Amino acid sequence: MFVVTFLVRRLAQGAVIIFLVSFLIFTLLRVVPGDPVRLMAGGMAPEELIEQIAEDMGLRDPIPVQFARYMGGVIQGDLGQSFLRPASGAAVGGAQFDDATRAERAEVLTLIAETAPMTIQLALLSMVFALLIATPIGIAGGLYPGRWPDRLALYLGSLFVSLPNFWLGIVLVLLLSVKLGWLPAIGYGGFAWTILPALVLAIEIAPFILRTLTVSVAQVMQENYIAAATVRGLGRTRIVFAHALKNASVPLLNLLGVQFSLLLGGVLVIEFIFDYPGLGLLTINAVLQRDFPLIQGIAIVTSAAFVLINIIVDLAATAIDPRLDY
Amino acid sequence: MTAEGMTTAAGAAADDDRTRSISRRIAAGAWASVEFKIGFFGFLGILLMALVWPEISALDPTAMNVRARQLPPLFLGEGWTWAHPLGTDQLGRDMLLRSLVGLRYSLLIGISTVLLMLAIGGLVGLFAGYRGGLTDTVLMRITDAQLSIPMIILAIAILGVARPTIPAIILVLGLSGWPVYARVMRSVVMAERKKEYVRGAKVLGASDTRIMFRMLLPLCLTPIAFVAVLDVARMMIFEAVLGFLGLGVQPPTPTFGNIIADGRKYLVNAWWIATMPGVFLFITLASLNLMGAALERSRNRVFGGVG
Repeated sequence: MFVVTFLVRRLAQGAVIIFLVSFLIFTLLRVVPGDPVRLMAGGMAPEELIEQIAEDMGLRDPIPVQFARYMGGVIQGDLGQSFLRPASGAAVGGAQFDDATRAERAEVLTLIAETAPMTIQLALLSMVFALLIATPIGIAGGLYPGRWPDRLALYLGSLFVSLPNFWLGIVLVLLLSVKLGWLPAIGYGGFAWTILPALVLAIEIAPFILRTLTVSVAQVMQENYIAAATVRGLGRTRIVFAHALKNASVPLLNLLGVQFSLLLGGVLVIEFIFDYPGLGLLTINAVLQRDFPLIQGIAIVTSAAFVLINIIVDLAATAIDPRLDY
Repeated sequence: MTAEGMTTAAGAAADDDRTRSISRRIAAGAWASVEFKIGFFGFLGILLMALVWPEISALDPTAMNVRARQLPPLFLGEGWTWAHPLGTDQLGRDMLLRSLVGLRYSLLIGISTVLLMLAIGGLVGLFAGYRGGLTDTVLMRITDAQLSIPMIILAIAILGVARPTIPAIILVLGLSGWPVYARVMRSVVMAERKKEYVRGAKVLGASDTRIMFRMLLPLCLTPIAFVAVLDVARMMIFEAVLGFLGLGVQPPTPTFGNIIADGRKYLVNAWWIATMPGVFLFITLASLNLMGAALERSRNRVFGGVG
């Protein structure tokens, strides 16, 4: 019963957040200068044609009217069509205003559905890498606060967090792809193309995991039940891995929920550098081309993902530690 | 530090502590650690270089010199000279000078942005936490909504169309970064609000404004402000990312982002153009982050708990 009321409450709150995000993005896009119709029709199109297209698309209506119309579609699962991308191929932009093929524009939902799996693959792999790097050092740092494993965690965390992701990407491409030829780098042609971007992303996430783990393990180790476990005659290994780590992993889960937007921001830049065909690259192109429906769609989908991940994180945290109360 | 060592140290320092303010204790605790000193002196050195060298150097960061183009850094490759310690770029401009000028802009933007974030986040958190009720609900829902939009999307969406001038960049980064501060500030204020000295001040007839701005704001904001050093580093990375995407301070003004973006085209022939400014940025950020991490640990120790 608890789970049902919890889910209902959180989903309702989530719906409010998603609504606010869409309204924010929607208004923002229309307030800032730059006419998307001009980009769609091309620089040579006459002024009347621009006005006529804008009129037909409803872009000259008041913002609340436009927003209501848009949300009406969203509720029915229709995120609209991209302004610029044709449904058939990768060609982008509208060089000619009398282009007959403009009618068949790609569905926003399809574009997102095509690219999202690529990004999820990248994000998951980088999460695995980040955990592989950060968990051993983080746990060691938490077990020996103030001693060398702790120092190592501190210095490593500070160094990793100081590496600008786009620069690290370039350096790794130079070393591993150009000089050594170990890994492919640019574009996508199979799983191997995910490794290098995932590594860069992992180094961006690792410091946060490292810091959270160090602090939470150190805190848990001072609890009474850990001291009691020694008295009960349990071995050190068992205490650390079966008792301490379980409670220390809750802050780590919360971190995942809070730092979701950091992950997304990283994905954006890294996909851009590596020309990796995921949601991040789609977003950057959509923003640079003023493709309103696509930006809105991506914002709605990512904020929905943010809400869902946070709900799952909280559920998992209560499963691990039943004392927690949400 | 072991648990025993900490309790004795805490006991010895207890008398002393009562007479000193929290911020002084945090600063002193951080100064005692090695990593803070490394970070501090590293940062000081780089800052001095950035402030002094472009003024006394005879070279101009934007002056081209085609005969001296693509010279490698010291001791690396053929044709290096002492005149250009980090080499020159594809147009013969001195890389050291360009990196230092880029660092000036990066620091200017990073620090102003964090101040703006602190101001907005602090105020929103203060009002939400102190007033409670409807004010709290509304402000926090807005905060949540903004927290769920990745700030970089917001930033490129705005800077993609507005002219990316320095004030615009500071404003956009600051406006998209405040929610975290608002959250932390709110939770601290909510805890302080119930304490006796606040109730006492109310009984004595202090107005809400006085309590909020004279008592709660300085008390709650200082510990947060210390850790904001970490965010200066984060904002400098953001500034560099924006420059890299072509949405930062525009060329010919050199910034880390646009130098690296340019140098990327010459990666195979002249690897140092794209990598050297990054090394510079990395050293600056690493020293800032070391200072920030030491301050954060010291703060956690002052507020009880393990560092």
